[in-house]
Amino acid sequence: MHHPFWGVVIKGGRRIDRAETGLHRARKTMVIATALYRGSHLVAGGAVVTQHQHDRLFPWLALGAAVAATALIWFMAARHRRLVSWAVGLDVLTIGCLLPFGAYAWGGAHAQESIAWVMLLGGSSSAMAAVAFRARLLAVAVVLLVVTHLAGYLLVEADASVTGAHLNALVFSAVVSWVLTWYLCRQGKQVDSANRRALAAEAQRARFAERVAHHNALHDTVLATLTAIARGGVDANTSMMRERCAREAAYLRRLVEQADDREQASEVRAALEESVRAAEALGLRVTARYHEPPAVPGEIALAMARAATEALNNVRCHAGTGHAFLTAGGDSGRLIVTVVDRGRGFGGGAAGPDGAGASEGAEAPGGAARPPGPARPGAGGIGLDRSVHARMRGVGGRAFVDSAPGEGVRVELRWPG
Amino acid sequence: MAGVITVAVVDDDRMLRDGIRSWFEGVEEVDLVACAATVDELLAGPGKPPDVVLLDLMLRDDRPPADNIRRLRAAGSRVLMISVVADRDRIVAAITDGADGFLTKDQELSVLVEAVGEIAAGRTAHSPELAFALAYDRGSMRPRLSPQEREVLVGYASGLTLKATARRAGITVNTAKYYLDRVKAKYQEAGRPTYTKIDLAARVREDGWR
Repeated sequence: MHHPFWGVVIKGGRRIDRAETGLHRARKTMVIATALYRGSHLVAGGAVVTQHQHDRLFPWLALGAAVAATALIWFMAARHRRLVSWAVGLDVLTIGCLLPFGAYAWGGAHAQESIAWVMLLGGSSSAMAAVAFRARLLAVAVVLLVVTHLAGYLLVEADASVTGAHLNALVFSAVVSWVLTWYLCRQGKQVDSANRRALAAEAQRARFAERVAHHNALHDTVLATLTAIARGGVDANTSMMRERCAREAAYLRRLVEQADDREQASEVRAALEESVRAAEALGLRVTARYHEPPAVPGEIALAMARAATEALNNVRCHAGTGHAFLTAGGDSGRLIVTVVDRGRGFGGGAAGPDGAGASEGAEAPGGAARPPGPARPGAGGIGLDRSVHARMRGVGGRAFVDSAPGEGVRVELRWPG
Repeated sequence: MAGVITVAVVDDDRMLRDGIRSWFEGVEEVDLVACAATVDELLAGPGKPPDVVLLDLMLRDDRPPADNIRRLRAAGSRVLMISVVADRDRIVAAITDGADGFLTKDQELSVLVEAVGEIAAGRTAHSPELAFALAYDRGSMRPRLSPQEREVLVGYASGLTLKATARRAGITVNTAKYYLDRVKAKYQEAGRPTYTKIDLAARVREDGWR
């Protein structure tokens, strides 16, 4: 499953990779293109050495050095997701500039045919330099290559036409690869900025939707209550009215705190708010606090909110307290939501009304210290356990339920698990 | 009457002051001796300074909260900050400035009385909202917390009871409380950090720069 807006790739509901940006993709394309170019030169060199120069040591060493320098460049490119300039510089100097003289001095390559394969490697050096270097350094590299290769071909007294064609290839390898890099990177940046704009528009839409939702909620709650009281004839001091006011004050409080936090409107927050309001409407007091919950795809936010609703329902029905705490935050990119109550809890020897034991995800070792003693899952606890688990696992997340008699219940929801 | 804690309320909302007065009427261990709209008004009043002052976090007079807290402490009172909303930056600033606790105004009476008792005894009134503000403080002057302090702080901030927090961390309740106290102490030792430009201006004034 790939989500275009969050740039998240979920494979088999478990792994996430940060998606590549367009610029990354452009650079990768150039790494591959220059690698193929160098590959063709190495194959040509290998063919010449095995057929005509296999009885001398130096050609083999030269071929080995070229393979090693190329491997270094690829290794660094794989690590940094682009051609690394010092590795390419090393290749230009050793393989591009020095190797031809080595081949002449120790390899017995005194003729144009026998030195040609070594010279060829300079072409791919020059192409890689055009990808990795800035303009001035690139000019220096190309001039160096042209000068040394000219000297090399003069040494072996090559045809002027062969020398000219080779120098032309050297220069135009750089030119073609530079133009390609420039074009691809420009396209990549355009794609990236379009993506950013789409993301911003999406956030804007989310903010607008949230505002409309708040307006509706304010209209149905606070405004209706205040209007009724102002009109008179309503006893504002009944317990029902007080509860209603407390609930609506809690909602306004969260609204104000959200504005104070200057946090971006997030889908998780909006979804969780809905769960909180639903629980409040059923008479539960919920203290909800948010601290920069990381952005997640919409379906994950929804699954989290449903699991949270379930946990809040459990508090309402089984905890023996009218108060729950919901916290949403992040831990190195992972979204963590906890639903906590200070009610009667369950677990251990003294089974609560649910007769359930402290339990957690089947193969999930909890982050914090676990209570000692046997975990004895029972009716209500395991019901909660099973249902939040199923929901979270379905989207690649995880749930932990922890409790002890008299100490309330703590449900932790995580994504990714 | 021995053992009775004297309390004053400083809040510019009269309805809230009246509400708290009628609340405390039924509580034996607490004696509400004064209600005032500003710290000036309270300090100008007659009688000994109260043991604990409930101070609104966002008074609408022009005195900076740091100033209010300092003057109340200098007069010999301890300070419990109260507020309608939990504005995290201001809570953190109030603790560094010498307040001994923070509660939102929607708490039940028992919670409020317990907090007053803790503070009158020279301890800290811990609350999940205070722990949350400290746990997720992003201020530049925040002190370094040890992993255990952080674990206890985050656990307590999530709404767990102190007992449950301690059990999860594998420590005793007393140790958990000690960690929470130490976090507060670290904030108060962190000196006089400046959190806002207004505070900064106040610091400059009190340091006699103008």
